[in-house]
Amino acid sequence: MMRIEDYADMAKIALTEDEKKSFSAQVNILTESFDILKSIDTESVKALVTVLDIKNVFRDDVAAKTVPRETLLANAPEQYGGYFQVPKTL
Amino acid sequence: MDHYTVFLEDSIMQKDTLVTAGSKMLENFVSPFDATVVKRLSESQFSLAGRVIMDEFGIPSLIFEGNEPLGAVKAVADGTASHALCNDLFGKYRKQATENGCCYIHPTYGTVSRFGLIPLASSMDQIGVVCKNLHDGFALLSQIAGKDPRDGAMFPEESYNYAPTSKNIRIGIPKFVNIETIENFAKNFQTIDIELAHFEAYKQVMYILSCAEISNNISRYDGVKFGHRATSFRGLDDLYIKTRSEGFGADVKLTAIMGTMMLSQKQYAPYYEKAMKIRRLIKESLKFDTYDIIAMPCKISDDPYENLALYALPTLAGLPAVSFAHKGCGIQLIANTKCESALLSAWEVCMA
Repeated sequence: MMRIEDYADMAKIALTEDEKKSFSAQVNILTESFDILKSIDTESVKALVTVLDIKNVFRDDVAAKTVPRETLLANAPEQYGGYFQVPKTL
Repeated sequence: MDHYTVFLEDSIMQKDTLVTAGSKMLENFVSPFDATVVKRLSESQFSLAGRVIMDEFGIPSLIFEGNEPLGAVKAVADGTASHALCNDLFGKYRKQATENGCCYIHPTYGTVSRFGLIPLASSMDQIGVVCKNLHDGFALLSQIAGKDPRDGAMFPEESYNYAPTSKNIRIGIPKFVNIETIENFAKNFQTIDIELAHFEAYKQVMYILSCAEISNNISRYDGVKFGHRATSFRGLDDLYIKTRSEGFGADVKLTAIMGTMMLSQKQYAPYYEKAMKIRRLIKESLKFDTYDIIAMPCKISDDPYENLALYALPTLAGLPAVSFAHKGCGIQLIANTKCESALLSAWEVCMA
């Protein structure tokens, strides 16, 4: 049985004890309400991913000017030498 | 009105402006570009006059709504703005507009560009309009609607004509509606009782799919590329966890956790995939050949989760909807894809 903190862990969120308690109560109410789904027959139904009848559209790969690097990096919490900076990963 | 002033919900990009989506996560984020709707408005007679606060990322509390109207509704209600643009995924704008003397237009999905709208649930996101009356609202919508190559999920039309159509409108009233709540409205029209297939599962399907999509979209807030970053951490994983735990508020955390659960290996088939299948059943069971518009109240309960059932249909099926107050009752009208004109006509009939 997965606990709420296991899903929080997957979502990269750490919960306080108060949050664990309050979220667990809400998650229980919500998942109980989802029981109604079981009563609906969807045996041969295809999932609806988007309401639009979208087809793949191809275009030529043409280079275009977009937002300059320094403008994008201006919002980065840390940057170094024109790159996003992250802590050591190895 | 000779001069239109438009406010933007804080989820719509405006160049060189703070765009926070109401979140600590983006408290210092300065937009590097204009959203398509902003660009189109700046070339029109509408002037951008300001920005308004919002629920964090547009996610309302499921438990408590509060008495204070959202910024976009407040600005239009008190006359500070003639219009406001926002993304009403969960119906809070639709409801509050009717409670504060305003109207709301939720356009057909895929008719207004979302380029520059901070994504929430991509298969449902749609920029809509808070306005004082639907004539003004559709006047603005005609300026911003139409294909934009920078939004990959759009209809091909370059522009839309929202002129009213015939006044001979057939209104379908779902069986769950207590007719007394909307009888003043209904007596203006030819009405028929209709059954909305699987209405009992609307709010659940809406909630499951939106949480799943939101949890996916907000995975981008990781403290690396933009937005908040925790000040002390040990390694990359700790950076992600501390940043997100500090940056997100309670409703966003709960949504992220629910979405992650719905997309997890064990829950995917019984919840997420099942909800997508029911979404198809809901959309394909509508019978717009026997009625032009579906009418329902904007509120059935004091519980925000219960009311979600009322707002789910336009969002799940990508349909146009309007909401407005009529003789003290909040009414929501829903039409078939790209049939906004019928909504305008129906509104004109009741306002006559």
